[in-house]
Amino acid sequence: MDTGSERRQRSPRRAAAVRGIRAVALAFALAGVVAACGGGGGGSGSPPPTPPPPPARPTAAEAYAFLDEATFGPLPADVQRVTSAGYDAWIAEQIAAPATFHLPVVQQLETQFPPPPNQGQSQADRLDAWFRAALAAPDPLRQKVAYALSQIMVASDVGALHGQPQALAFWYDALVRNALGNFRDLLKDVTLSPAMGIYLSMLGNQKPDPARNIRPDENYAREVMQLFTIGLVQLNLDGTVKVDAQGVGLPTYDQSVIEGFAHVFTGWTHAGATQANFARPRRNYLAPMQAVAFYHATGPKKLLNGTTLPGGQTAEQELEAALDNLFNHPNVGPFIAKQLIQRLVASNPSPAYVQRVAQVFNDDGRGVRGNLGAVVKAVLLDAEARAAPTDASGRLTEPLLRLVKLWRIYGAKAASGRYLVGSIEQTYGQAPGRSPSVFNFYRPDYQPPGELATANLASPEMQITTESTTATTASALFGLVFNRNSTMANPGANDVLIDISEELALTDTPAALVDRVAARLLGGSISATLRQAAIDQVGRVAATARGNRVAEALYLVVSSPEYAVQR
Amino acid sequence: MDRRTFLKGAALAGAGVGLGHLPGVARMEFFGTAAAAVPDYRAVVCVFLFGGNDSFNMVVPRSAAEYSVYANSRQNLAVPQDQLLPITALNPDGAQYGFHPAMPGMQELFAQGRGAVLANVGPLVQPVTRADYLAGAAALPPQLFSHNDQQDQWQTLKGRTVVKTGWAGRMADLLGAAGGLLPVNVSLAGTVAQQAGEKTTQYVIGRNGAPEFNGLNGGNTVNAGRRTAFDSVLDGANAGIYGRAFASVERRAIATAANVNAALATVPTLATPFPDSGLGAQLALVARLIAARDTLGTSRQVFFVATGGFDTHDDQLDEQPLLLGDVSASLRAFHDATVELGVADRVVAVTQSDFGRTLTSNGDGTDHGWGGHHLVVGGSVLGQRIYGTMPRLEIGGIDDTSGGRIIPTTSVDQVAATLARWFGVADPDIDRVAPNARNFPTKFVDFV
Repeated sequence: MDTGSERRQRSPRRAAAVRGIRAVALAFALAGVVAACGGGGGGSGSPPPTPPPPPARPTAAEAYAFLDEATFGPLPADVQRVTSAGYDAWIAEQIAAPATFHLPVVQQLETQFPPPPNQGQSQADRLDAWFRAALAAPDPLRQKVAYALSQIMVASDVGALHGQPQALAFWYDALVRNALGNFRDLLKDVTLSPAMGIYLSMLGNQKPDPARNIRPDENYAREVMQLFTIGLVQLNLDGTVKVDAQGVGLPTYDQSVIEGFAHVFTGWTHAGATQANFARPRRNYLAPMQAVAFYHATGPKKLLNGTTLPGGQTAEQELEAALDNLFNHPNVGPFIAKQLIQRLVASNPSPAYVQRVAQVFNDDGRGVRGNLGAVVKAVLLDAEARAAPTDASGRLTEPLLRLVKLWRIYGAKAASGRYLVGSIEQTYGQAPGRSPSVFNFYRPDYQPPGELATANLASPEMQITTESTTATTASALFGLVFNRNSTMANPGANDVLIDISEELALTDTPAALVDRVAARLLGGSISATLRQAAIDQVGRVAATARGNRVAEALYLVVSSPEYAVQR
Repeated sequence: MDRRTFLKGAALAGAGVGLGHLPGVARMEFFGTAAAAVPDYRAVVCVFLFGGNDSFNMVVPRSAAEYSVYANSRQNLAVPQDQLLPITALNPDGAQYGFHPAMPGMQELFAQGRGAVLANVGPLVQPVTRADYLAGAAALPPQLFSHNDQQDQWQTLKGRTVVKTGWAGRMADLLGAAGGLLPVNVSLAGTVAQQAGEKTTQYVIGRNGAPEFNGLNGGNTVNAGRRTAFDSVLDGANAGIYGRAFASVERRAIATAANVNAALATVPTLATPFPDSGLGAQLALVARLIAARDTLGTSRQVFFVATGGFDTHDDQLDEQPLLLGDVSASLRAFHDATVELGVADRVVAVTQSDFGRTLTSNGDGTDHGWGGHHLVVGGSVLGQRIYGTMPRLEIGGIDDTSGGRIIPTTSVDQVAATLARWFGVADPDIDRVAPNARNFPTKFVDFV
């Protein structure tokens, strides 16, 4: 059994993790060398050439494009910092920045705005905390990556967690805490978060009882492999699928491995529970789950790659061994690399790009596997990410993030400080922590019928870009820019208003107004068609209706394909 | 018909212009808003139960010997024998069956000959026995027991091949322009692979109709100008291949929404009440779209509706009555609405789901299985029958892979082939809709 060696492998990782973030910049200088050596192998064909490094001093336009990927929307201060200090320094500062957690805000809101008697706290408070962080937290890179992870290691308030916003915030904070940390820590924290325990029914999972035909619950065992770590099919280092003679992907595991992990994940429940109250424990959503030995399966357990746990260890020991077994599977690097690229940069990265990032996952240059800070940096600074746009580079942005970017750049605030956004998933087709299932709002390999499928190109976000959501999204943005801006008379305390005061000074010159909006929302990169259409439309509005002139320019930009696509 | 062609069709149809010049269009039925009644209307309504319905608790053996096998497998999750709602099939197999106690609506539809049970259906490439399965001797759909893969199998029938279309999309491709102002395929539950075609496209509608684009409806110079500006930006989209895909959805949305909503506005309120549920609301809108068929000029439709929560790993005994109760009441209401509209024999509703679930329990729930029972409802359905073969609900029995995951005995392809035949797809083309159906002793299951 391999557990011993796997456990030994963990100590350098832990040691490196505590050496701190200053190692990361150096690790990145080394990552290119690793790539050139083809470290890790796999892949189809020869290793990709080392990409040229990104420029040390990006232009403002380059900084904008970078921050469009690295944050929820480029702010002038960040653009300024990136142009003056460079990408590396900005990323290092972001990794060093203290994390902005969501749970404390959710708890503070519960105190400040107590729910009505006999009602639990609403998920509205959790979304409020999410918007506060997305729009203005001082760690925007961490927040953006945490949100990306929330679409990979999915939990949701749709279902049993509906009444538990703090449980979901505790799960989300595990993503925030580890977003730029180590994937192994992330995996453990997510696995033991009570929200995940409830969402994928590991909480309360118990050892088999053959007399009653009871077997351990396979839910978490299956999805932690299929969705959170390795996927269904064996991958080359570049993310391409290893196939059999018929062209069918080689499976990463079979039912017996699922059952093995299902047995590992037995005995866990709310912290503080005992054997006596395991079936009905006192609920504790804000501490990692704990195991009750009596309910843990004691027999051998088949894991991945021919590893078998002999049984007889504690639930805690077996959990660590099983998570190590997962973490060290060769699929994790390409599987996570490709999905992070898709969430941050591009729907269809080249295999070479995936491979370069996966290599950093496997070894950050200092012998550390799973260093997400290094991985995120590799994602963002890859030559392919920073290259000039092509027809199929980049991605369609998520519908919700079109709203978030507008609000972030235009400093949207309510007098009350609240972001009471309601059932935004009904408008935008998605909302943080509100996926319809553990399969997220869309699949990473979704190919919309038509030109994209014909070209064999994925566009996950197109799966929620329908005749229905395009209309509701555009209509919502229309209402917000016209009726929820800083010219609004007598706004309600909770009306979230964008600040258009800068633009109001430009309304006598439609071209200057449109260029100002384009600078803020498009980084100055506006097509002649959109620019002219917006200038013409602004000119159709009476010069005295200054707020409406601004709103016309904003609406045409935020509803445009070029705003919806990030390239 | 691609998206662009459809849009042209929609625009021209509004002007009363026919589209006889389109190649590959077998059936020309683009009508203006004052079109005459469409002959021979047919609609298939697919009701997808996301998560994997535990259908071995939906239709349960009631006779003593079979119930005993079931109860022994199901243990604490077994539905009590005396609570089952009895049904008597016209094609008895020697056992007696009943519906889950939350399903009186289905019990009535079955007794009236308007509902039938499709026994032990699941994705298959070819017939599979337990011996084949254990020996690895049969070609199987890849990634059994995985939610999204098996949903994909149900929707695309791709088996072990790579296919980018769904079976309903292929039906629409084969029937050409039968959709009028709407494509043949309409989803009330978002984008689904089942409705993806090569030449035809799916239309996703909201639960209250087609949402429109605020501020683009003209009315004054500024609004009209905004529409002009918006259209010019869509047409001049300079945002690469993703921008073109986005723009094409928006164009189609704008072109279709007003027509759909105008047509819905002509429909009188239905007297039939629907359950206050997501599924009930979707089926109510389907009924209204069917009622608007003449205005829309549609002669063939496949509607996709869905409801979730069937992945009952936990709390199954609490959850299942709510889930199955909603399915039963919603199907019952929908059928009643088609009777009210006088189209009951032109509409068939059928359930789908990721998979059935394990006969074993994990304490208070079940895990992912394979085969499972399904329901079909409609005036043309040869009802009060159980089609296919009821499995032996025994762990380690002749129908078990292992651990109580039951091997299907009727393939989804056979169900789809049967629906395609009723829908009007000619027999040689049915192999393109349901390519694996011919691998079974009978290509069709004659439930309709």
